[in-house]
Amino acid sequence: MKQLKIQKILFYGLLLVMTLIYIGPFLFSLSISLNAEQDVFSWPIKLIPEKWTLGNYQRVWQDLPFGQWLFNSVFITLIQTVTNVFFASLAGFAFARLEFPGKKILFAILLGSLMIPGIILLVPKFIILNEFYLINTYAGLTLPGLVTVVNIFLMKQFFETIPKDLEEAALIDGCSYFRIFWQIFLPVSKPALAAVAIYTFQGSWNEFMWPVIVTTTREMFTLPVGMAFLKNEFSVQWPLLMAGTILISLPTLAIFLFFQKYFVQGVASAGLKE
Amino acid sequence: MANVELKKLKKVYGKDVLAIKEADVFIEDKEFVVLVGPSGCGKSTLLRMIAGLEEISGGDLYIDDARVNDVSPKDRDIAMVFQNYALYPHMTVFENMAFGLKLRKYPKAEITQRVEEAAKVLGLTPYLDRRPKEMSGGQRQRVAIGRALVRQPKVFLFDEPLSNLDAKLRVQMRIEIKRLHKQLQATMIYVTHDQIEAMTMGDKIVVLKDGIVQQVDSPMNLFNNPANKFVAGFIGSPSMNFLQGEIEKTEELEFVSGTVRFGIPNELNLHDKLSPYIGQPVTFGFRPEYLYDKAKEKSKQLSVDMDIIIDVTEPVGSEAYNYFHFKGQEDLTFCFRSDSAYDYQSNETITVGLDVARLRFFDVETENRIA
Amino acid sequence: MKLSAKQKEQARTAYLFIGFPLLLFSVFTFVPILFAFFISFYDWNLLIPDKPFVGLANYVELFQDKVFLVAIKNTLVYTIGVVPIQTLLALVLAFIMNQKLKGRAFFRLAFYIPAVTSSVVTSIIFVWIYSKPGLLNYLLSLIGVEGTDYLTNPSTALFAIMALNIWTTSGYFMISFLAGLQSIPQSLYEAAKIDGANQWQQFWKITVPMVRPVTYFVVVLSLIGCFQVFDQIYVMSAGGPVNSTTTMSYFTYNNAFKFFRLGYGAASAVILALIIFGATWLQKKYFPADAY
Repeated sequence: MKQLKIQKILFYGLLLVMTLIYIGPFLFSLSISLNAEQDVFSWPIKLIPEKWTLGNYQRVWQDLPFGQWLFNSVFITLIQTVTNVFFASLAGFAFARLEFPGKKILFAILLGSLMIPGIILLVPKFIILNEFYLINTYAGLTLPGLVTVVNIFLMKQFFETIPKDLEEAALIDGCSYFRIFWQIFLPVSKPALAAVAIYTFQGSWNEFMWPVIVTTTREMFTLPVGMAFLKNEFSVQWPLLMAGTILISLPTLAIFLFFQKYFVQGVASAGLKE
Repeated sequence: MANVELKKLKKVYGKDVLAIKEADVFIEDKEFVVLVGPSGCGKSTLLRMIAGLEEISGGDLYIDDARVNDVSPKDRDIAMVFQNYALYPHMTVFENMAFGLKLRKYPKAEITQRVEEAAKVLGLTPYLDRRPKEMSGGQRQRVAIGRALVRQPKVFLFDEPLSNLDAKLRVQMRIEIKRLHKQLQATMIYVTHDQIEAMTMGDKIVVLKDGIVQQVDSPMNLFNNPANKFVAGFIGSPSMNFLQGEIEKTEELEFVSGTVRFGIPNELNLHDKLSPYIGQPVTFGFRPEYLYDKAKEKSKQLSVDMDIIIDVTEPVGSEAYNYFHFKGQEDLTFCFRSDSAYDYQSNETITVGLDVARLRFFDVETENRIA
Repeated sequence: MKLSAKQKEQARTAYLFIGFPLLLFSVFTFVPILFAFFISFYDWNLLIPDKPFVGLANYVELFQDKVFLVAIKNTLVYTIGVVPIQTLLALVLAFIMNQKLKGRAFFRLAFYIPAVTSSVVTSIIFVWIYSKPGLLNYLLSLIGVEGTDYLTNPSTALFAIMALNIWTTSGYFMISFLAGLQSIPQSLYEAAKIDGANQWQQFWKITVPMVRPVTYFVVVLSLIGCFQVFDQIYVMSAGGPVNSTTTMSYFTYNNAFKFFRLGYGAASAVILALIIFGATWLQKKYFPADAY
């Protein structure tokens, strides 16, 4: 009995250490962001600041184009989230529930495209957008991510789980296919729609490579690009940078906390359907 | 006011998978017709073709004398009750029932009136604001029926509506649907795999097997005068007993199978019907219900006698199912229904009788009934 | 084939529904795939209007380019190092999270936070942690070990970034495994206990084989991600020091978007894509996802 107790203490001790490894770095950056001293590179480092301040958070707004970057990030993320939910559910419904000539081949092409590494698309996408003078514009930032194949699949898979009876009952009740989609399938698909929305939000908000490539001037940067840009400046102001990173992380963290259920569901179903 | 007519209705999946082979059925106005058969026989397909949910591959379908092959489900003026209820989970009971009427742009007052009326009939009035998941299986099925009722369609279609309910509820709903039918005086087509449901509910029963209509008849006619061996075995519980043997002609006609041998009196033209089979194999069919213990019961009818050896007795209340074999045929088991008070013992030999009018013979090849 | 009214309505609705997504897909995925190969045969420079066809010259040059060869090596080291450790760690975390324990939701959240955080954010935090007077060296000094500046030291930079990647994504894949674990019937473990298996044996003999389909999925995703690692490299080391962290995707980025040699960059992306295909094909062939 006593041995079991020791085992339990050991287990929880180990778990706590693991937890510290996973969230410690964030706590650490939080601590730096609240540090009133600018020279944070003193040795030995202090895990807890001697003098506290919220000034770094104030300065993020004053000294940096943080507001502009925030606007860019929010703008792109919101548009992509809405369009992904809308178009992915439309296309997902068509592939899950409608019969039409060419369905199989189109679906196979989409499926195949999932195997294509994104890296190979960068140069051609850039050239195509450049042809339309869309480099360093909101359109250039937003268009390629309006709807993703992964989301179409997620919606298709969800729609396939809805019993056929429901669709047929609606047909007999007098629905057109559009109405079946709009009034029957969408309302019962809230969990899947939420998962798509959350994933897209997360992805768009954190997206880095594409905005790095497609933006050329500071006022078009998104938050991650802006932060990376600041980090590579000559004189890095760490407390300021850390305050920025904390601010960037808040929306995704908040969304994760509020919608944890959908998150886990989404990853789970994506994981099992492969 | 609607009859339904199926004329050589055909369903082919893909290139050559035949699901329904030329079904000919006439369903009269106000009739309660049951489509019955084992799973995979095509009964649901047939119903769904009537509903418009399955394309018709060949033949014609008439509702109220109008050909509706190419009419979409919503314009056929039918309503359907599904096996899994198919209630819209995000709508309340009221909204579920009202949905079809709303889509057809009925005035609000009329929708409310119709829904409330249906709810009253089905005892759903207290539940109108609930959502399906807050209700029991039986209540959900009522809602599904209610959704059909409010539409006041020409034809009601039921696709195994009771198969998800427990046994007790099933009997109750069965009676309720039957009562509704009387009350509404509407044409109803009902699919089930349960022959008891079919027998108790149908004015007329359509028996299907492998996509082929076997027989269309009243319940009692199906039971007493099955068109073939399949119908004979499918209808009735426990099933009809079958014993393969041969027709021999001595002084009269005789049926012989191992130790079983009885003369066939020339009642009901039995001789005429059986004489082409002299010296040939036939299947003899007899229902467990129609055997009776010669020592304990008397029949006024002319009967044939057989000696049987009891194996096991299963009392099920007032009656008992006695499983038995004939001497020398231990591997073939048959059933005989008796009063449970008789309390037969294993290996007891008794003599049973069977009225001549109850003798059934089937062709071994075609399985069609000879007599 | 003649379509019935119902089929026509379905087809009409379907084309309407998939129209825009398909257009977008064509412009930003389907056409670019073909276009990528096309570009890689040209000396395509953004700043020079003349774009001569050069055949395989870009590919030939790539394999003579020392930096590219180093990039291939770095990418392979990175992937081979990260994928197995990350997968095993994710499975172990999931196994722990699947036990009855107090505060499970909290622990799950803690392990998942790095995965939902921007890669730029985690990279910046770790630049700070890995620096000479940083958190890691501080912790090491507590046990009397003297560290180095991990990101400016060519022999440690790549490994430091690999460790960061393991840290961020293991929590993400933990969730996938957790779902897989929860679908294993409890009765299997009970049967094993009766047969006398301890925790450790239960993990290796029941858990690991039963989550094989999930493992397959996790390894594929993780492979594809690692081969294309970019964000962390860009933020933390910019490929340095002395190209010790230049990966293939960073190489592609540099050539295409810094030196504007789009044709050359496209060619290196094509090679990376082929390597990824090869890797997933090998995996499919030798470690298929068969469930039991």
